[in-house]
Amino acid sequence: MRLDLTVNGAVCSMDVPPSTTLLDLLRDYLGLKGTKEYCHSGVCGACTVLLDGRAASSCSLLVGQADGHDVVTIEGLTPADGLHPIQQAFVDNFGLQCGYCTPGMILLAKALLDENPAPSREEIIRYMGGNICRCTGYAGILRSVEAAARERGSWS
Amino acid sequence: MPALEAAEKAAGRVEYMGDLVVPGMAHAKVVRSPLPHARIASIDASAARSLPGVICVLTRDEVRADPDIEELYGFVYRDAPLVAMDKARHHGDIVAVVVAEDIATAEAGVELVDVEYDELPAVMDVHAALAEGAPRVHEEFFPIAPELRPVEGTNICHRATLARGDLAQGLAEADLIYEDEFSAPPVQHCALDLHAVISQVDDGRITVWTNCQSPFPLGRELERIFKMPARVIVPYVGGGFGSKSRDRIECVITAAAKLAGRPVRYVLTQEETFLSYLRPAYANRMRTGVKRDGTIVARHNTFYVDVGAYAISGARSANNTLKVAIGPYKAPHARVDCYAVYTNKPPSAPYRGLPTTQHTMSYEVQLDRIARDLGIDRLEIRRKNLVRDGDIHITGDYLRSAHTHECLDKAAAAIGWDRPLAPSPDGRTLRGRGVSCTIKYTLTPPRQMSENSAEVVLGEDGVFETRIGTVNIGQGSDTAMAQIAGDALGVGLDSIRIVHSDTGRVPVDSSTTASRSTYHMGVAVVEAAGRLKQQVVEAASQLLERDASELTVSGEGVVGPDGDGVGLSDLVRYVGAPFAATGDCVVGGTYRAPDGQDYPIASTFWTFASCAAEVEVDTETGQVRLVKAAAAATTGTAVNPQSIETQLEGGVGQELGPTLFEQLVWDDGGQLINSALLDYPLPTMETMPTYASELVDHPFEGGPFGAKGMGEIGSVILPGAVVNAVYDATGVLFHDIPLLPHKVLGALDAAGRG
Repeated sequence: MRLDLTVNGAVCSMDVPPSTTLLDLLRDYLGLKGTKEYCHSGVCGACTVLLDGRAASSCSLLVGQADGHDVVTIEGLTPADGLHPIQQAFVDNFGLQCGYCTPGMILLAKALLDENPAPSREEIIRYMGGNICRCTGYAGILRSVEAAARERGSWS
Repeated sequence: MPALEAAEKAAGRVEYMGDLVVPGMAHAKVVRSPLPHARIASIDASAARSLPGVICVLTRDEVRADPDIEELYGFVYRDAPLVAMDKARHHGDIVAVVVAEDIATAEAGVELVDVEYDELPAVMDVHAALAEGAPRVHEEFFPIAPELRPVEGTNICHRATLARGDLAQGLAEADLIYEDEFSAPPVQHCALDLHAVISQVDDGRITVWTNCQSPFPLGRELERIFKMPARVIVPYVGGGFGSKSRDRIECVITAAAKLAGRPVRYVLTQEETFLSYLRPAYANRMRTGVKRDGTIVARHNTFYVDVGAYAISGARSANNTLKVAIGPYKAPHARVDCYAVYTNKPPSAPYRGLPTTQHTMSYEVQLDRIARDLGIDRLEIRRKNLVRDGDIHITGDYLRSAHTHECLDKAAAAIGWDRPLAPSPDGRTLRGRGVSCTIKYTLTPPRQMSENSAEVVLGEDGVFETRIGTVNIGQGSDTAMAQIAGDALGVGLDSIRIVHSDTGRVPVDSSTTASRSTYHMGVAVVEAAGRLKQQVVEAASQLLERDASELTVSGEGVVGPDGDGVGLSDLVRYVGAPFAATGDCVVGGTYRAPDGQDYPIASTFWTFASCAAEVEVDTETGQVRLVKAAAAATTGTAVNPQSIETQLEGGVGQELGPTLFEQLVWDDGGQLINSALLDYPLPTMETMPTYASELVDHPFEGGPFGAKGMGEIGSVILPGAVVNAVYDATGVLFHDIPLLPHKVLGALDAAGRG
């Protein structure tokens, strides 16, 4: 099927089979491999992207559902030089170990902080509870998101 | 200090197995047995082979037809055929491999492979497998590791005993004898980075890219099976927790690649990982004889590990834990009996110290029962029995760097053990606290030998390239080794480059398992760096015409007392070739203790730890919530303290799942029914407790700058502390995990506490 969507600010017009998932489009057609796959059933959140600014599991969306929408992946969040403040907060606060869930976690945190610039700890926990990390026990991720929230004024 | 690669990971730029592409690669999918135990009557792959886009199908016929392929895989226990030969031994067993131009075609090809099965009676648990006249999972045994001893005519693939003192005498001396049975079901590791392999067979050489944790043993196994040299390359790995230790899939896909004449890529799905390797079922019978004052005089632990259909690693893992199954306690008369048993479950894999975790739960829960029965404080009974430096362990080892009391005190203090519990806000929740103490071994050879080496090379770019076999699986190994190399050389981290886990580029290492890397690879790096530094100083001493003792090495160069010196790049040019030095870590043998006697070394180092936990039990729903968890562990001198703290948090946080709600379930037909993540809940940020990580960081003699390993200890200590905390809260003692709400509620009702 013919698709027109925006990925990381660039307009993508392309032809792909309608059974393609957004995850496969990003990884296999566009080479954006920062978006990861594990459960392929919308549970783990490793494949989280921003769809019109909201967190979405790209493994559970067919490309048609993204047609005409705006998609941001970890590559789109990362500035040309250095890291986004949320990414930096994850580095500084040991919010990652193996790093496999990290792109999804960081995009989930971005969606949270866009929606709610000053979340309480409980609000962070409820929101971030949607993605799975197997290494950190989540403490470092919570510290990272809290640190990013404190710096929320420094980015738009 | 954050990991060297943390920024690249945060940017999503690190490549894992699933991201790698090898030019010309084809894609594989696997035909798996739907039955737990079946004779394979026939396989017809002709329809699959004629599907456009299918390149080849590997079945037992192709394996048998190739005289240069050995049928059986296994470097610990050689019992796993590359593909099922005469029979399938578990739901998910590998029957055939379809190779195609793309994944969708390979999947379609799998559907077209027609396999006729004659179902055989299955043994789905240890109890059934040990019954008189039980069906045999394997008709023959092929142990490779010398310590493995099967029992002919049974499903017992390994049986062993470790004893010290005289158990009968100890039990006779006891005032009271306590006997309990404990158990835990299988769970899965759920490493998010799916197990994957790309294999290429070209010009009589094998190259395998894989996210396995044991690249060198795998390379040797590939060489044995295919009779050609093999190189194994491991990129960054997104967690393994033991599941990627010793799988056979690399060899299976290499056979497919050889047949296809193309590089072949295979990525397991999440469901397939559940059918391929799991933390096994565990059961034991723990008998402890005590004096009325709480002194342990005798202990006997008989434990059973369900290794599943193939003992490729499960039997040795079970055997290793003979060393720790009585716990960190002075039991003058002790005996441990280990049974590793075949069943028709998927094969087991190590899981963060398994089954030390289940041993710990068992002896710690029983100890709380004893303490309550004797009216002794729970911390006091532990202090009375915990080993100290200089005590002799069941293995005969002279224990060093034990610090058991400090671990216990720090863990308890960290959760406010002596403070009153917060009252229940609504009257329906009960709160309680529990502790747990443990001892953990590391993988140690039975004789004196070097299991790993490191190499440091200084090239013209002036960077000290440090080559290590350790797999970077998220544990922070590159960073720790760079810190150790930097300290040994006297240079900053910006002068160090780590090259890891490529058997074609780095010296040998046995595996990234058993909390072994910081110590073993660290010792090798210190030695290599020291030798290299000496070479550099000697060369500079000639060039500068200075005595070597007057020279100092830094990241910029070698300088003399008057500020004269030479840059590192210039020094390499002067010599005309890179500097290179290797170091290794010799382990095993005996230890000369301060008493002048030599003692055996069953473990290069022992890690000791304690956990204190606080729980909340909802008496209306049976829900147990872990509120606080403090872990205190002996780390030796901490190489990277924050990294160790987060490693402890991660271990505790992961083990919370198997303690409270994770378990795999098979139906009566031997089918795993919750292999999809939708049916298998994992810990999330919402189930996270408040953590405290306490480092008991006294230098360990012989370790790199005094360090020792601790990678698995956080998970090992949690279940015992939680079960004991629930006992404290409710008065109900559980003998098995997970503490699922319906089980807790039923037990509370039965005890009249609901």
